[in-house]
Amino acid sequence: MKKTIFLILCYSSILIAQSVDKQKEVNLFSPSNIKKFADYLFCSHDYLRAALEYQRYLSTNHNDTVSYKIAIANSKIGNYSKAAKLFTSIDHKSHFFSDAQLEYYKALFQDEDYFELRNDIINADSSNQFLHSPRAKKLFYFSYLFTNDSLPSENQFLSPFDGTDFQRVKDFYNWKEAPPYKSSLVAGILAAIIPGLGKFYVKEYSDGVFAFLATAALGYLSYTDFKAGHDIRGWVFGGVAAGFYAGNIYGSIAAAQIYNVKIQFDFVNSLKIFLNAQDFFIPEIKFCR
Amino acid sequence: MKWLVIFLVSIIVFLTSNICAQDVLKKQFAYAKNLYSNEDYYDAITELKRLLFFDTGCHYTFEAYMLMGKSYKMGGKFSDAILNYTDAELNAKTIQQIYQAKIEIIRTNILRRTTDRALQLLGELEKDKRFAHKANEINYWRGWDFMFADKWDDASKSFSKIDSCKQLKYLAEKVHKDKYSEVFSNLISHFIPGTGQIYTGNYFSGFLSLGWNILWGYVTVNSFAANRIFDGLVELNLLWLRFYNGNIQNAQNFAKEKNLVITNKALNYLQFKYDGLKP
Repeated sequence: MKKTIFLILCYSSILIAQSVDKQKEVNLFSPSNIKKFADYLFCSHDYLRAALEYQRYLSTNHNDTVSYKIAIANSKIGNYSKAAKLFTSIDHKSHFFSDAQLEYYKALFQDEDYFELRNDIINADSSNQFLHSPRAKKLFYFSYLFTNDSLPSENQFLSPFDGTDFQRVKDFYNWKEAPPYKSSLVAGILAAIIPGLGKFYVKEYSDGVFAFLATAALGYLSYTDFKAGHDIRGWVFGGVAAGFYAGNIYGSIAAAQIYNVKIQFDFVNSLKIFLNAQDFFIPEIKFCR
Repeated sequence: MKWLVIFLVSIIVFLTSNICAQDVLKKQFAYAKNLYSNEDYYDAITELKRLLFFDTGCHYTFEAYMLMGKSYKMGGKFSDAILNYTDAELNAKTIQQIYQAKIEIIRTNILRRTTDRALQLLGELEKDKRFAHKANEINYWRGWDFMFADKWDDASKSFSKIDSCKQLKYLAEKVHKDKYSEVFSNLISHFIPGTGQIYTGNYFSGFLSLGWNILWGYVTVNSFAANRIFDGLVELNLLWLRFYNGNIQNAQNFAKEKNLVITNKALNYLQFKYDGLKP
């Protein structure tokens, strides 16, 4: 009988212990469950919620992986300035310190704070291997393509790049050094010499043909009206022709400016596409399988 | 006897722990529902996601996805709402739940103005024999779909199939009657410039357009009559046809604008004064 009671007690205690464990498991707001849930959100790309859950977890625990992931989550949702601050707060003893340093520069770059980025790299201690790594250098030199600051020499600029990137980056450098802009002055002068020629210069061929034909036709009408003694009609058509002529000069100057803005926009766009494809030269740590 | 006691103890402990787990999930769902009721949709979604993550037994999957869909819908994120309603449909346990999820998808499609998709889903629902007794409700949402698709005549026909929907039927009929015909407005402007504008109640614009067309028509015809062919061609292309084409476009635009005012007024009434179910 005693043996039976003993057996029952042992068995019950095991079951109760398991039950207590299960109850702990179903406490949805226990730190371990908060972290599990945050990891799930992070891997589902729900970064804002993940960051909030990680912060909740950090209020009771210290974990450098979680701190790093909060910074990454902020960077992912475009909160670059906050991400940059969070990356700098990663302790130098942490396993993620070197990655956080590089991510910090990536965040500065994405925040378009090129001045701060370059300043930090230039003023860094020469012993700081992270700041003098090829990845940091790539970001450093690439930032010049987004600003109007004078470019470094071609050799210096291209030194950190190699392989397939090299030619592409060289093309970007050459574009930036001598952008294929159209001169507004030349467009205006050409339009004044032959109506429509200014539009041809900025590659608006159909507009050029129309401007030429309209100005020529109205000018001819005015000429024939004066010749036939219809002075009033001659002045009306002459006035309209003059309007077309002046408008075409103005239009050609404006078209040259629009052309320049468009190619500048295309250039910046292709830089961004290239950078995104390269992940800003700083590949992410894969936390999710 | 010994084994019976051990068995009973196991059962009691097992049931207690499971009931406890379910109780936690129940509380979590109630918490999310409360957040939703307080219009805190972002947090409601977070808590529902948490519930779904820990609800490994799928006790609340359907309800959680439905509520998440509603939260997204209230936040204006219709595509996310539809994704969640679709998940709810996939996790439905009864035919009624499937129907409920499908109707929510349709209602959200109507709000999202993807009315063709809503119409297609309503058609599928109508063909499904399991929902044969839901014909009235299907026609009701079809009517709403037509109203959002600016097909007020079709909406009126749909509502006329339901006895209790006379108010909506009359509203749809009235809007259909009040609306101007863009085709007619366009057509009469081809024959007599300015009449399209006059038809839509824009008298000044209509007479002005008529005047310009008469003037440039006269000048053009006069040039041709005086054998000034080149002058005539230039006046025809640069002046008369410009005003003639402008008059046609203008008439159509006026009809569109007037119709927009009429339909917006009706939709405004439906949004703020209509008491029945809305998408």
